[in-house]
Amino acid sequence: MAFIKQTAPQVVNEDERTASRDFDGLCAELNNENQTARRWAARDLVQFSQASAPLVARLKIEAHPNVRTAILDTLAQIGDEQAITGIVECLRSDEASLRNEAIEVLKNIPEQVAPIIDSLLNDSDSDVRIFAVNILESLHHEDVEKWLIQVIEQDEHVNVCATAVDLLSEVGTELSLNALEHLKIRFADEPYICFSVELALKRIGQGDR
Amino acid sequence: MKNILVIDDAATVRMYHCNILIEAGYHTEEAINGIEALEKALTTHFDLYIVDINMPKMDGYGFLKEVRSQKDINQVPAIMVSTESASNDQVLAYSAGANLYLVKPVRPNDLLSYTRLLLGEGA
Amino acid sequence: MSDITISEDDFAKFREFFYRKTGIQFDNSKRYFVDKRLVERIEETDSKTFRGYFVKLRFESSGDELQKLVNLMTVNETYFFREEYQFKCLVNSILPAITKAKTDNSPIRIWSVPSSSGEEPYSIAIYLLEYWRDIENYDVEIISSDIDTQIISQAQKGHYSPRSVQNLPDKILTKYFNYKNGGYQICEDLRQAVEFTRVNIMNPLEVRSYRNIDVIFCRNLLIYFDDISRRQAAEVFFDAMKTGGFVCLGHSESMSRISSLFKVQKFPEAIVYQKPVEDR
Repeated sequence: MAFIKQTAPQVVNEDERTASRDFDGLCAELNNENQTARRWAARDLVQFSQASAPLVARLKIEAHPNVRTAILDTLAQIGDEQAITGIVECLRSDEASLRNEAIEVLKNIPEQVAPIIDSLLNDSDSDVRIFAVNILESLHHEDVEKWLIQVIEQDEHVNVCATAVDLLSEVGTELSLNALEHLKIRFADEPYICFSVELALKRIGQGDR
Repeated sequence: MKNILVIDDAATVRMYHCNILIEAGYHTEEAINGIEALEKALTTHFDLYIVDINMPKMDGYGFLKEVRSQKDINQVPAIMVSTESASNDQVLAYSAGANLYLVKPVRPNDLLSYTRLLLGEGA
Repeated sequence: MSDITISEDDFAKFREFFYRKTGIQFDNSKRYFVDKRLVERIEETDSKTFRGYFVKLRFESSGDELQKLVNLMTVNETYFFREEYQFKCLVNSILPAITKAKTDNSPIRIWSVPSSSGEEPYSIAIYLLEYWRDIENYDVEIISSDIDTQIISQAQKGHYSPRSVQNLPDKILTKYFNYKNGGYQICEDLRQAVEFTRVNIMNPLEVRSYRNIDVIFCRNLLIYFDDISRRQAAEVFFDAMKTGGFVCLGHSESMSRISSLFKVQKFPEAIVYQKPVEDR
């Protein structure tokens, strides 16, 4: 039989963990040319509360998606103001994959994100406002519906409203009914809005019976 | 019956696109992001992909790049659909392998005429 | 009899949410099956209505209720040769790809997690012996881990009910098992072939020593995890694997709900996920 059992423990042989694991050593490793080394450094920096600045700096120039994911995860875990600002900046990136990674990460830290939702929902960039609504989807926060109603009552951009209606059809209550009816009038010539509002009204209405 | 894969992370958008296509006589399937779409594309035959750009895990560009690199499915046409009207996104969409580009919210007639065009059914 | 009803729109709302979270899609033919289980949970949680329950399910940050529901909606039973197409994929496609790319004579390492009561790692061992023609040419290490020490000692004992072995061809049953105390005892050679370990895959320190793995079987585990834990587990696997190695998930699971670290790889028998080769 050719089955064997491990005779010696696996050596963590890769060069990526040979560098010093103190704060300065890890910051230096963030610029290592080996992407695995950078990813490990980004992960190990989670134990240092002062790591947000070097991580955000690296995030701005990092090209490898796996390293970026690790940096975003670590920033989310540190969760201080600088870290959150760094993640939010990614929403403005030209790269779709980075924007979407940032949204995913922000969805998982409701306490840190809730205080900035208002400002994101009022951002001048309509795409950022859409992403803010995307973040609301997974936010376990009592104001989610209130924010969504505010969006469909006030936002002028059809796609921001459309994104909010999609979510309201899942989380909306009778509190949303008026705003939804108004939205349908406001965008009466948009077939998609009419479709999605009808769907949301139906889903919410049924729940009341 | 022509089979179309509708890829979007928003359930309402998928339903809207599918309803339009089904009423016009097409068969549709749905995927929630690029990875799921790729899994379906590799195991089921589709005649057309309708792809959103911003989605979690794998976005529309990533999906199209993968599709265009897989020999069994690289010829399947794709319409990219996005909220972004910036010209840069159109450029990126075409370089990722999209055949046509539509800006959300999509109008039923536009979706159908693009679909027919790419399926070679005339406008 | 319960007077809780699930309307068509409630069902649609639930179906979309559950699909987004798990990748499992229920069509209308499953309506009765789904409704029955939803009503069961609504009663159990004293939610009174679907709406009340859905709010709890959706906004509960621990994710415990979703986990309970996934449990009810999926068949979580382990037996020999369960989802056999993946073992076929292992011997016909995955291992040939790995041996082809191999540049040294280090052993091929297969990690089966969770071990549960041992049916999966032993199935892998049997499959390799019976159906992989290169078994004589390579050393293979099968490691199987679980968080639960009790289930590990059960796996090490290797005594199974007739139900658990009912999918096995007679030839295999007589070759590798002995009938004993109303059940089937797996043979000593196979018990020695699998290395059982206790590990919590969510603890980075405990998984540090799991490295250079070629194939990971992690079936029907991550579907019960919340979003963050899934991502973390995928990272753990990624780090434990050799580049070019493969991950096999359960048939109702998809990487599309877990992580973007891996590449989708289609083999004739199954879709699996590969740690990209260019990643170094």
